Amino acid sequence: MKLGWQTRLHIWLRLMFLQASWNYQRMQGLGFLFALLPGLRKLYPEEEMHEVSLRHAGYFNTHPYLAPLVAGAVLKLEEERAFHGEERSIDIVDFKEIVAAPYAAIGDALFWGGLRPLAAAIALFFAIKGIIWAPLIFLLMYNLVPFWFRIVFFEYGYRHGIQSVDYIQEHNLADWAIHIKEAAVVVLGGLCAFLVFSHLTENQLPTWPGLLTLLPMVLLGLGARKGLSTLLLIFVTCLTIIVFGLFWADLAGFFKF
Amino acid sequence: MWFELMIGGVLALLCGLDRIAILQILISRPIVAAPVAGILLGEPQIGLQIGVMVELLWLARLPVGAAVPPDDTQVAIAATVLSVALGRQLEAVSIELVLLCLLVALPVGKIGQYFDHRARNYNGHLPIETERALAEGLWRRTQWLHLRGMLSFGAASLLTYLIIVAVGLLIIPPAWPVLSTVFYPSAELMQLALPLVGVAVILGTVNVSRSITLFCASFGMAFLLMWLVQQ
Repeated sequence: MKLGWQTRLHIWLRLMFLQASWNYQRMQGLGFLFALLPGLRKLYPEEEMHEVSLRHAGYFNTHPYLAPLVAGAVLKLEEERAFHGEERSIDIVDFKEIVAAPYAAIGDALFWGGLRPLAAAIALFFAIKGIIWAPLIFLLMYNLVPFWFRIVFFEYGYRHGIQSVDYIQEHNLADWAIHIKEAAVVVLGGLCAFLVFSHLTENQLPTWPGLLTLLPMVLLGLGARKGLSTLLLIFVTCLTIIVFGLFWADLAGFFKF
Repeated sequence: MWFELMIGGVLALLCGLDRIAILQILISRPIVAAPVAGILLGEPQIGLQIGVMVELLWLARLPVGAAVPPDDTQVAIAATVLSVALGRQLEAVSIELVLLCLLVALPVGKIGQYFDHRARNYNGHLPIETERALAEGLWRRTQWLHLRGMLSFGAASLLTYLIIVAVGLLIIPPAWPVLSTVFYPSAELMQLALPLVGVAVILGTVNVSRSITLFCASFGMAFLLMWLVQQ
């Protein structure tokens, strides 16, 4: 028996609630079972459902945008298991465990570490100019790729089952994550230059000292790399600026700005 | 005042759920949450300013596995609500007040991590109850138990928001007459510095080889281009 598109859509929609009961014991485990239940109940008779459900109620954790790929593949495997019986199918729990961690690592690097800063940096250009559509620009730019992954990968996983792992390998997503992170760093550089340049021109100050901004930024970056907390860096910076601001008039008079 | 706080509370709840529990379409990011709060309260530019200042600060802290990053969503929403509400009450809608609200909200917002941990711990009883429900074949209850997890995440978000707002309402009105004069000469520079600190932290923590070289080259090139265009 194959699952109809309505059931698959139902499961896909439930995957949007994957982390509703996130906890330290099973992480996304209950969410994964919650998403698959409409499909499992169509595949198995009521008397087998307890055992089948327990299989999916255990520990599970992956990136939420790549969970549809795992869910699609698991549905395919469950379909085969329901049709052919246990002897002709691979261990579904093993499959989930094998793919969850690598997918999580790829998703974290690609989406949280790469795409999110890139979309934020681009949207901030608009926000700094006072364009009120900046949040919408961020949402559109960011969500385009994750939703493509969520929709297409779910269907791909369902059609190809265990073979869907090859699809991820072929597309070198880990390399893409590095390229997107590099792009984000370049855009952030442009954004900072734009911020500093705009500030100096608006205040009719000479622009060339703006290049010196790199020095404190690199120092702060090295501080962060050494483990200094962001809050500490913020308050040290703000305090320095406040003290500097209080004595600015005297300094300006002394140096005859 | 109550109207502003309530609007902020509803938004804090919705955006808080997007952070972990549902959808994750990132309406919880400060660049979205703060301007939306600003629009709802009739001061979109204040929301936009706060969004710009907060967005990059903790962007480098990834929600990986069991790691809980600081709750920048509630910081952004609460700072916007405080800026608008107190700005109207004190008749001082200004960048200085916005900065003061933000600098109060930032450290208090750390409490969001504690509530988030508590919510995740509290949800720890759900798997046991689910197994009981499964043994009895109670499918509807199994599904309800999963969705019930959202309540703890919602409560964590709302509590974080309320505590930031309460501390802000206690500290800012008496401190404002003194601190407004202190903030006045340095407000614009601080407004510029906050996103730069965020970018510096990203540079320090991003897993990209030669990130500082790439950043400096891009910064220098963009700066020189703008300078040339201006001449």
